[in-house]
Amino acid sequence: MPVSEVPRLLQRAESYIRQTKYREALVLLDQAVRLEPKNPGGWCMRASAKIEMEKFAEAIVDCGQALALNPNYADAWSKKGLALYHLEQYAPALAASIRAVTLNANDASAWYIKGICLEEMGKSDEAEIAYAKSLELEIILDIKDESKRVRK
Amino acid sequence: MKTNMPLSKPIRRFISETERMLDTEITLLRKPDAAPGGTLIDVYSYNLDKNIIIFPANYIGVLKDFVIAKQCTHLFIKGAAAKKSGYKVCSFTEDSVYRGMRQIYLDALKDEAKKEKKLTVKKLLEMLFILYRQFHEDINELPWNPIVNARIYYRMEQLRKTQLYILLKDGKQDMDELSDMMEIIPRRYFVLDKSMFYARDLYLAKTLPSDKLTPVVNIPQMKKFDHLEVKEMLTTRWTHTAWYQSKVFGDNMLTIMEKHLAVDWTPDNSLDYYAALYETGVNLTNALLAFMSMKDWFIWEKPKHLLAAQEQMATYEQAALKRIFGDLIEDQ
Repeated sequence: MPVSEVPRLLQRAESYIRQTKYREALVLLDQAVRLEPKNPGGWCMRASAKIEMEKFAEAIVDCGQALALNPNYADAWSKKGLALYHLEQYAPALAASIRAVTLNANDASAWYIKGICLEEMGKSDEAEIAYAKSLELEIILDIKDESKRVRK
Repeated sequence: MKTNMPLSKPIRRFISETERMLDTEITLLRKPDAAPGGTLIDVYSYNLDKNIIIFPANYIGVLKDFVIAKQCTHLFIKGAAAKKSGYKVCSFTEDSVYRGMRQIYLDALKDEAKKEKKLTVKKLLEMLFILYRQFHEDINELPWNPIVNARIYYRMEQLRKTQLYILLKDGKQDMDELSDMMEIIPRRYFVLDKSMFYARDLYLAKTLPSDKLTPVVNIPQMKKFDHLEVKEMLTTRWTHTAWYQSKVFGDNMLTIMEKHLAVDWTPDNSLDYYAALYETGVNLTNALLAFMSMKDWFIWEKPKHLLAAQEQMATYEQAALKRIFGDLIEDQ
């Protein structure tokens, strides 16, 4: 399969992930990272699928690959924070989610992970600020989704 | 608890406590097409061996936490009732469907007499059961909503901002429901349906407390009633609008809600407390049904009865039509 096929593979994998068909997505993502190992997007998406399949340690490795190729890849930091949270490594998860929201302040999920980690570390006041930011962004997304639904 | 998603500490604790006290299992499920308010499929209502809380896939943070808290609170109420006094729901029988549809028909006749553009017979017949089902659905859900929300407000302070957003959204949606059928369904039922939601929102606005929840401010059709004096309302054309009537009936329903929901929302989680909340909900439901003159429309039965009744819906509808219209209705 030529490298030019990778965008199509990623597109199909993303569609599978949206349908919660993670196994199918993972097959395509394995092919994508094999064909184009220098594409951080492939590694990051594979990390997403692995998180959903509860393969958290493997997901962290994939995030590491993506970040080695692009240290400012916000989504990879976000996914790394999420995977670390699942492994109950709250301090590094917090560090990763802080990096994620610094690079992309509109990542509701990263703000939420930041909030949860702060809460776990007993920093409730700071957690509240992170949750408020997460809520603000979620509401914006929800309103957008709602208007899409109405238009349909 | 079965989940692979991140959850805030209080939610995790609440789920675990619910599972332990009810001796049951809760699975959280994210679905792209889930209802915005989430769905609870529980062992007390269906033949299942575990409870499932479904919520929209795009709710990834605190919105998800609130939906889970809401459904889990409702599950706790159902489970406590099942363990203590027995869990029952508003169900229906062939007879009760007949009584409801007959009453709707009689009211529809009064309305139709005044209408310039009359409904076709086919539409009128269809409307009878649709409306009956609508009220069945609403009365099985609405009284539990203020109970669940008040409990969350007092027990999970960190969710208050999220709760306010969801309530405002729900309020608008519920008030919009049936709006496109306003000219079709008998006025009385449009008004009663809106009144229930109006009363709920006002009750929550007072209990939570938030002036942002007030329906007269947030519902476009009701804005004109804000700051109007009673005398002014009574002496103007407003008295004839369905929305004004909804406000008047809604104010009465609010009094009923306040009377029945005068409970302490703060005690620690216990089976006794949640079983008492269930009794409160049952009493409120009965009071609302009495106020709407619908006491004999539904019966309290075990969830199994409701599941069986839902399978018979088409038969009950047909039988009711036959009893109301006699031979004018052809057998299907």
